Amino acid sequence: MKKIIALLLALTLCLGLAACAAGTAPTEPQDPGNTNPTATEPAAQSVTLSVVTSYGGDDGNRKNFEAAVAAYEASTGNKVNDGSATSNEEWKAKVLTDFEVGSEPDVLFFFINADAEPIISANKVVSIEEIREVYPDYASNMKESMLPVAADGKHYAVPSSGFWENMFVNKTVLEACGVAIPGPDYTWDQFLADCQTIKDNGYTPIACSLFEVPHYWFEFTLLNNGSLANHLELPTLDEDGNLVDDAVSQKWIAALEDIKSLYEAGFFPENTLTATDAETVSMFGEGEAAFLIDGSWKCGYFSENHADNLEDYTICCVPGKGDRPATDAIGGISMGYFISRKAWEDPAKQAAAVEFVKQLTSDEVMSTFVTTEVTALKNGAAPADLNAIQQAAADCNANVTGVVGAVQDTISAEAKGDLFGNVQKVVTGQMTAAEAVASAMKLN
Amino acid sequence: MSSMIYKKKSPLLFFLVPAFLFLVVYLYYPFLQNIINTFLDIGGLGRAAEGVNDPWYANYRNLFQDPDLGTAIKNTVLLTIFTVVFQVGIALILALLVDSIRVGGKVFRTVYFFPIVISATALGLMFNLMFLYKGGMVNQLLLNMGVLESEVMGNGRQIVQWLDWKDENHFLFTMFLPVIWQYVGFYFVIIITGLNNIPGDLLEAAALDGASGLKKVRYITLPMLRNVLCTCLVLAITGALKVFDLPWVMFGAGMPQNQGWLTGTYMYDQTFNKMNVDYGSTIAVLIVVLGVVLSNVANRLFKPTEDY
Amino acid sequence: MYTKKITPAKVFTYIVLCLWAATTVYPFLWVVLNSFRQKGLILTDSFSLPLGAAFTWDNYKVAMERSDFGNAYLNAILISGTVTVFVVIFAGLAAYGLCRYRFRGRGFLKSMVTAGMMFPVFSTIIPVFRMQVVMGIAGTGNRFLSLLATILPQIAGNLCFAIIILMGFIQSVPIELEESAYLDGCNVFQIFFRIIVPTAKSSFATVSIFAFLWSYNDLFTQSFFLRYPNERGITGLLNEISSQAGVNYGLMAASVVLVVIPVLIVYVCLQKHIIKGLTAGAVKG
Repeated sequence: MKKIIALLLALTLCLGLAACAAGTAPTEPQDPGNTNPTATEPAAQSVTLSVVTSYGGDDGNRKNFEAAVAAYEASTGNKVNDGSATSNEEWKAKVLTDFEVGSEPDVLFFFINADAEPIISANKVVSIEEIREVYPDYASNMKESMLPVAADGKHYAVPSSGFWENMFVNKTVLEACGVAIPGPDYTWDQFLADCQTIKDNGYTPIACSLFEVPHYWFEFTLLNNGSLANHLELPTLDEDGNLVDDAVSQKWIAALEDIKSLYEAGFFPENTLTATDAETVSMFGEGEAAFLIDGSWKCGYFSENHADNLEDYTICCVPGKGDRPATDAIGGISMGYFISRKAWEDPAKQAAAVEFVKQLTSDEVMSTFVTTEVTALKNGAAPADLNAIQQAAADCNANVTGVVGAVQDTISAEAKGDLFGNVQKVVTGQMTAAEAVASAMKLN
Repeated sequence: MSSMIYKKKSPLLFFLVPAFLFLVVYLYYPFLQNIINTFLDIGGLGRAAEGVNDPWYANYRNLFQDPDLGTAIKNTVLLTIFTVVFQVGIALILALLVDSIRVGGKVFRTVYFFPIVISATALGLMFNLMFLYKGGMVNQLLLNMGVLESEVMGNGRQIVQWLDWKDENHFLFTMFLPVIWQYVGFYFVIIITGLNNIPGDLLEAAALDGASGLKKVRYITLPMLRNVLCTCLVLAITGALKVFDLPWVMFGAGMPQNQGWLTGTYMYDQTFNKMNVDYGSTIAVLIVVLGVVLSNVANRLFKPTEDY
Repeated sequence: MYTKKITPAKVFTYIVLCLWAATTVYPFLWVVLNSFRQKGLILTDSFSLPLGAAFTWDNYKVAMERSDFGNAYLNAILISGTVTVFVVIFAGLAAYGLCRYRFRGRGFLKSMVTAGMMFPVFSTIIPVFRMQVVMGIAGTGNRFLSLLATILPQIAGNLCFAIIILMGFIQSVPIELEESAYLDGCNVFQIFFRIIVPTAKSSFATVSIFAFLWSYNDLFTQSFFLRYPNERGITGLLNEISSQAGVNYGLMAASVVLVVIPVLIVYVCLQKHIIKGLTAGAVKG
């Protein structure tokens, strides 16, 4: 027993020392964050801000974020303890738990939709109005109309770069099938005919995992059965919990039926119900599938993973059905910076936190984050050096006639999970579209 | 005799208190919270409850009405049976074989451990590539052997009827194989440790009495291993009920078409993806209850020799 | 006992053992090979040797570029080493007490241990997190407190398993050994440390390996308590790097190799103790 413990301890020490020795040498120069907070207290006026963002992991803007943080540290002498991670449901839960138990960060970069309501209603973050009483020019470079409004009517988050969703097209596949690249007047019937041609040529028309990401198609089929103006309206339930049969519920049902008809026509990959998003996106990337509805972040993905054949792809409008022009798109701003009340009421940190948000949302810094996404900046962002796919996105966005937010961001996480989990049951006929809509709305 | 040594109960405190103090604070108390949560309405992790469920036992009623949970239990019980039979079975055979050889035992002991060390994410990725629909290793192999049909179209594109290893007809195989395979090494290590704990002179005495290899196994090794095998059984049952990471990486949320749930993946999905925290807590209670019942049944069946 | 003759039974034994070994070695080899493969090639060709143009060090370079690599190893070893030591000691004591003493509530405690093994960590993590914030050890931003906040729940999480395993082994220890020691004038503590521990040495080594392994690979608990870069363990750091699954498989493979190395070292070291013969000596002595 003693020997085992001794062995373990010795091993612990040896490995630790070896790791230290191996680790410090090559990394020291380029590593500003490798300081031990307990070792030395910084000078009196310098403070350490804890910051949590979703710019961790493989986020396309991680390097830009780290550069902006380094610039902030250099210009103010403050230190930033950066707890950034990759955004997912687990991360959201952690952030919200932090706020609830009182271990929240000083500055938070988080979702500005329903996800942020718990921390806003618990008075854990400070509103822009309150901050402006002390710092009148806070967020003054943003368009007032585009500041996100919370349930209480006040503004809390300083919005960062936004997103758009549209249709990525693999030009080589279309060429091989003799199909023209869709223009801004692309119609649904034309689209169905093209899909059939592509299928007859032995390619997959639509790269989509209905198992993992049916929501991209749902947003657009819903938009196709309604309009920009009523896109965000939700179906309602009567007192008995039955779906109210009105225009809204009918368009939700029609949207699901449209996805079902695409599925039945065999336009999705054969294994769309068992494939992952990564699998179907790589089908598209490698020229096996023609169409892919996805978001602005995929430009970064293709730039990184298919850098050599970016010319093969372009971005087009999603075919329009009925009255909806194909040029109406989904987009908006989904995340922004919050200052926690804890930091605001700490005299040492107040100014530092405000300055941090100001710097991270300045016109110059935002321009490094943005390529083709919307911003709330009054002067707009001025991105430089667009590559082929980013240029294609910019060209497509230039044609866009109207933008509306994603309806999935307005329903509760429970309802969202239920609705999109049931899409596979709807397309295979185990459940009707009406049942799926009713089941989701019960959870909203 | 033993009663003489262990008659004085006061040292018992020294033996039990440290461990159970930890368990109470970090396991039983949080789980009690979890049980309380099953009666509340909680719309998201890190959020306070919005009140008591109506009726308060609503979640427990749902357990009996939820078809997906039924699927999960069915699959998990199947997995438990396979786990007990194959994992422990293969591990026992391998351990007895390794114990009987003179050369190379150490090498086998080391390499059998590999699958447990590699993270589930990496293993899941590997099995995903092996069972990949289009051009995965298994499908390529089947194509080359002429099992899969393929035709060449007019424009020169080859269309292959790939086998979807994750569809309704094949998912059980594709899901269970990696799980069972990964943990054989785990039980192997435990059983081989048990073999090493058998006093060598017992076996020597048996050999002097002229017992052959198989007879030694039958009359000495297996009875001596009984406690260890019983432990393995309990571990296999509780392990199967909780199994999560490998199926989650490979199958995600209930693939295919809500038929691929296991209790572990279903609980995680309800809690972290569907944000149905109170229902997720209820499934956790169910997992624990099922586990205690099943392992008690197993213990009764293979009653270990405790009393001397 | 053993003969040098090559019998058919022996050949068969080796064939079976080698076949299983092949299934366990191959995946590990596969991961190592693909960690050296050029980006993007894994999906098209993951089963050949990465030679020539396909070979690259890039995945390791990218993984290493992330600043505090050495620090992350240190954190991981500190956490898992401490967890292992405490799990083995506490579980050993408890298992012995539960095995040898007959007292009221013993059956209840044993069921509680079995039940404790089944608590999914997903259901206990949030209450534990709240509790530790109240205790002032989680969410403080202090590195050593954060490490402690990870260690404590991990000790509890591994105890049940360790107790069950050790009970299985201690029950198999012939009680005659303890009786003769008792006649020689040993008290129970001496019996535990001088008889039980040495006799079941290999069992303790086995439990150490699994406690170390699970603590080390337990990303979930770590991700709740280790938020800031200087706190992260190696598993967390590399998960962070390769987190966007499905994007860069090569980097992921390299991460796995870097994570696995320390565990293999620990296993090979402790394996010495799982060797036949040690116990025979103890019985005779």
